[in-house]
Amino acid sequence: MSETSCSAVKDFFALYLYGELSFDEEERVESHLDSCVDCRKALERQREVQMALDNIAIEPAPSMLRSCREDLHYRLVEEEASGHTVAKHGWWERFTDTLTGRAGSGWLKPAGALTLVALGFGIARLPIATGGGGLFQAGVMEPSASRVRYVEPASDGRVQIVLDETRQRIVSGGLEDQKIRVLLLSAAKDPTDPGLRAEAVELVNPSAQSSDVRDALIWELLHDQNSGVRLKVMQGLTPLAQQPDVRAALTRVLLTDTNPGMRTQAIDLLTKSLAQENPAQTYDRQVIGAMQELMQRESNAYVRQRCKTALESVKASTETY
Amino acid sequence: MAQKTGGQLDETALIRAAQGGDRAAFEQLVRAYDQSVLRLAMNLLRSPEDAQDVYQEAFLRVYRNLDKFRFDCSFHTWLYRIVTNLCLDHMRKRKVRKEEPTVVATAEGPLDRMDAVVEERVDGDPQRFLFSGELRKRVKQVLSELTPRERMVFELRHYQGLRLRRIGEILGTTEEAAKNCLFRATQKMRAALGDFI
Repeated sequence: MSETSCSAVKDFFALYLYGELSFDEEERVESHLDSCVDCRKALERQREVQMALDNIAIEPAPSMLRSCREDLHYRLVEEEASGHTVAKHGWWERFTDTLTGRAGSGWLKPAGALTLVALGFGIARLPIATGGGGLFQAGVMEPSASRVRYVEPASDGRVQIVLDETRQRIVSGGLEDQKIRVLLLSAAKDPTDPGLRAEAVELVNPSAQSSDVRDALIWELLHDQNSGVRLKVMQGLTPLAQQPDVRAALTRVLLTDTNPGMRTQAIDLLTKSLAQENPAQTYDRQVIGAMQELMQRESNAYVRQRCKTALESVKASTETY
Repeated sequence: MAQKTGGQLDETALIRAAQGGDRAAFEQLVRAYDQSVLRLAMNLLRSPEDAQDVYQEAFLRVYRNLDKFRFDCSFHTWLYRIVTNLCLDHMRKRKVRKEEPTVVATAEGPLDRMDAVVEERVDGDPQRFLFSGELRKRVKQVLSELTPRERMVFELRHYQGLRLRRIGEILGTTEEAAKNCLFRATQKMRAALGDFI
């Protein structure tokens, strides 16, 4: 075989190893390999390189996936609360389906088209918004706040701007109202405003017995960047400290929270919950183990002292073995 | 590649339930695919923040448009069309950069994905070690030089294990065009890694 044909065959090695060559291409590669020792060695090197590439793949951490799922869950709840659901129930969707032929009622199309023309004529007659008048005053549009999300040049010299728009609306209701609760829980996760998060947490705290509120508070306890908000969350979870998932979250706070005040609070709550739940003194080994671990790694003398006292109060060793 | 939690019938039932407004069914559907979606976004974009953005945006788009899914293709293909478009948008916006960072912040701490190219099988052999170190540098360079489409096809074929036919369906092109794209990507890699092959 000439050098050229070896080179041509080597070009196909990657696709050959992926099993993506056509029958004829694969046949040409294999018949060349039968008679060329150099190419057989080169193929092995290619195989090694492709295997080495396998090792650079990143596998997202389970905690990252969990966090994505939690965020998505709340976004979906918000979507539902704001009226966006997968299923089409609205007259507008049914109407547009009619126009696009999905509804299967051919005779409705001309009627729909006529209605659109009438709507267009009517809207066109409304004054265009200038200054403080126009569509806003006419009540057709509500005042909205906009933020430019992306700006991109388009091919024809124009520009494309993607705006995020928010409209202000006042909603009122009791905490028992699911929509109000969803909005409050959404505010409790607003990444831009810790003050809003703290106020929202304070409002939902009395409803911490409800599973949706409790789950949201646990999420906040473990993820909120602001220790003031986390402390408020902990107040809300105080009556639930005996529940396994709350206790697990408090144990995590004990070992991972950067704020000594949070760690101290977690120690107090866990100690109290252990004492209440275990009159027979069969304490939760996980909690005890976490406290013992904290004793080894805690740099804050006050927290270490509180932890020591807590372990002694449940007659547990302050050492790990 | 995403693993389905049940058979095709189960998935169809889940999709239909989700189309009917069952959010729990939708979230179950998400869980069947979201790990591979996050992995794809993370590997292509090398930024946890961007990968999480793509994850949220992709599944929200799926949620909002699920009523338009007519079973003309598999749900996996439909979902990946959305995900790959979002990733390509991100990659194209970044293409002005000379070189993409290879150090990424993962939940376990900073990770240079290229460090992992050093094979465990070097067994202390200095020559093999040099081989692996040099290979790492070259791979880093060549991956940054692929076009977004080449990079996408390479990631889908090599790391997600998808066949070219499926990749063509996802990217809205033919199997042949996807093959040409992969061929170009592997040629660039071969040129950069010539001494090793």
